[in-house]
Amino acid sequence: MSEDLIDLDGGQTRMEAAYGSDDGDEDLFAITAKREASVGAIFEQNYRPWDGDFGPRWVRNYAIFRHHVFGLFSSKGHRNYNPFIRLTILVIFIGAISPIAMLFFSSLFGAEPDGFIDKMWGVNRSNLWGQVLGYFPRNLCYWPLLTALVVGGMISDDRRNGTSAIYFSRPVTRVDYTMMKYLSVAVVLGFVIIFSYMLYYTLAIVFKGEGWGFLIDTLPMFLAGLLCSILLVITYTSIGLALSSISQSRFFSAIAFLSIIYGTKLVALLIDLQFETSILYILSPYDCLAHFGQWMLGLELNYSHSLSLSVVSLILMNLVSILVLVSRVSSLEVTRE
Amino acid sequence: MSDDIKVPSVLVENASKWYGQVIGINDVSLAIEGGVTGILGPNGAGKSTLFKLLMGRIKPNQGSVKLFGIDPWEDTSPYRRIGYVSESERLYDWMTGQDFVSTLARLHGMTRNEADSRAEHVLEFVGLYDVRHKEIGKYSKGMRQRVKIAHALVHDPDLIILDEPLHGCDPIARTSIMNVIKELGNQGKTVLVSSHILEEIERITEQIVILHNGRLLALGNIYAIRDLLDKHPHRIMITTEEPRKLANAFIGEEPIYGVRFPEEGKLEIQTNDLSAAHSVLPRVIVESEVKVSRIDNPDDNLESLLEYLIGG
Repeated sequence: MSEDLIDLDGGQTRMEAAYGSDDGDEDLFAITAKREASVGAIFEQNYRPWDGDFGPRWVRNYAIFRHHVFGLFSSKGHRNYNPFIRLTILVIFIGAISPIAMLFFSSLFGAEPDGFIDKMWGVNRSNLWGQVLGYFPRNLCYWPLLTALVVGGMISDDRRNGTSAIYFSRPVTRVDYTMMKYLSVAVVLGFVIIFSYMLYYTLAIVFKGEGWGFLIDTLPMFLAGLLCSILLVITYTSIGLALSSISQSRFFSAIAFLSIIYGTKLVALLIDLQFETSILYILSPYDCLAHFGQWMLGLELNYSHSLSLSVVSLILMNLVSILVLVSRVSSLEVTRE
Repeated sequence: MSDDIKVPSVLVENASKWYGQVIGINDVSLAIEGGVTGILGPNGAGKSTLFKLLMGRIKPNQGSVKLFGIDPWEDTSPYRRIGYVSESERLYDWMTGQDFVSTLARLHGMTRNEADSRAEHVLEFVGLYDVRHKEIGKYSKGMRQRVKIAHALVHDPDLIILDEPLHGCDPIARTSIMNVIKELGNQGKTVLVSSHILEEIERITEQIVILHNGRLLALGNIYAIRDLLDKHPHRIMITTEEPRKLANAFIGEEPIYGVRFPEEGKLEIQTNDLSAAHSVLPRVIVESEVKVSRIDNPDDNLESLLEYLIGG
């Protein structure tokens, strides 16, 4: 070994040579002696300060919002939704707008006014209510599943992975964080539920070539249905996000949401069948919304209890859910790890 | 008040934090400004609690914490000037390094172009430019640590807080990260870096803070604190087949004031001057013609330093 490879002046080589006592000690002036090895110039450090301006609060909040919403379309730089979730949401959306296809075909084939297709899928009180609040398939299959898929992991993933630290170590307040998560879920639900409702109403008019008279007749009903759909989105978002903030498991929030929607409905139904009282439906978020929706659209009420009980219950459900959500987000990162 | 009075980046005044019966931080006061400062302490010493206090994640039960003169619990505006690397923080594994850093840059309000350009620069700075389009999930531990540092630097913070940035890294990654930290200190930024390994910190900075059981144990220049250690007996443990013969050879040497045989085949030398003892060691061993298979310095670690400091 050449002398320049040996750190003759360095302590390490001499120590090894001196302390080594086994056979072949003469070979011990080995690799560790090379001083350059400890310098470690791995790459060039060339740090350039940034002199730009930071955007205002809404720009930061929009970054959170787009991260969650745009993730449905592309994971590049956005939240990663499982392809199965994306596909299911697409199927639900297609299912939600399926009456439009029926109206389209009926317009193609010149179906009779007030015929079967018109009654089943045309614009009227029942169908406007049913487009948002009908139990099968929308509130049995579509909306609860959609909500469960979107809220599952929305906050619980941050709680489990500690990724909330990514937000809270930036100028993002907990209020901003909660609001943007809420808005993201509401927008996704709204896109499927409210947008499909609006699309249905608009295209029904277009396909059937209805005039201003029809529009004036049906617009109040449409607006009532729109209000109900907004209430549904708000209620499902509140409950779903509250559940997502409770647990570290995305499955818990999804399953718990479905359990609440189906469980309360089932219990109330059994009690109704056994004791002929609908009062327990005030525990069911869906039935409170359906009750309110029937009243708003001027339909015959299926519930024997007072409407005000359903409305109060609906308000309480939302309040409690938001309180739970705020409380749980406040505790994020606050506890000892 | 005069404008000449500079507000320190970090000001902790008599801060205490308890988790029920458990003490996180107990009456700690610090003021840190500029350069790299190592926060040292064994597990459970309160390093992470101190960082959480600084990051406004928890509120002190007593005292106050201020960053650039502002209480982070009350106001998140200091975070515009802070980059934080959490020890436990996970990353978005499905994103590429470039997307991840760029996305987080936008949380600071940067435009897309600014965020992309800045992300490229900081990834280059931490040595990940070539792999910036690779998914983070495919990064090694050292690369993940570096991408965490990159996302903490993307908005060009004045204060950088790194919680165990070298944890789990291989030697090359450690060297890379240490170089990055040193360079940031050279740039005049205030860098707080925690570790429970004294040697790691020693390679980065001379300015240290030692915490133990939530209390501030020592603060200042690392060599000044080590001098405290040198006032206590150091131990050198020699593994040899003939400990008694070797002990005889050591008796009478100036820096050695005692020997002990803790177990069979081991000789413990006690000294007040570790450097001087090491300088005579080779000569004595060679002259005694005793075979030595191993030499350790059981005192030369943070735990021993803490032990001496606690014991007074």
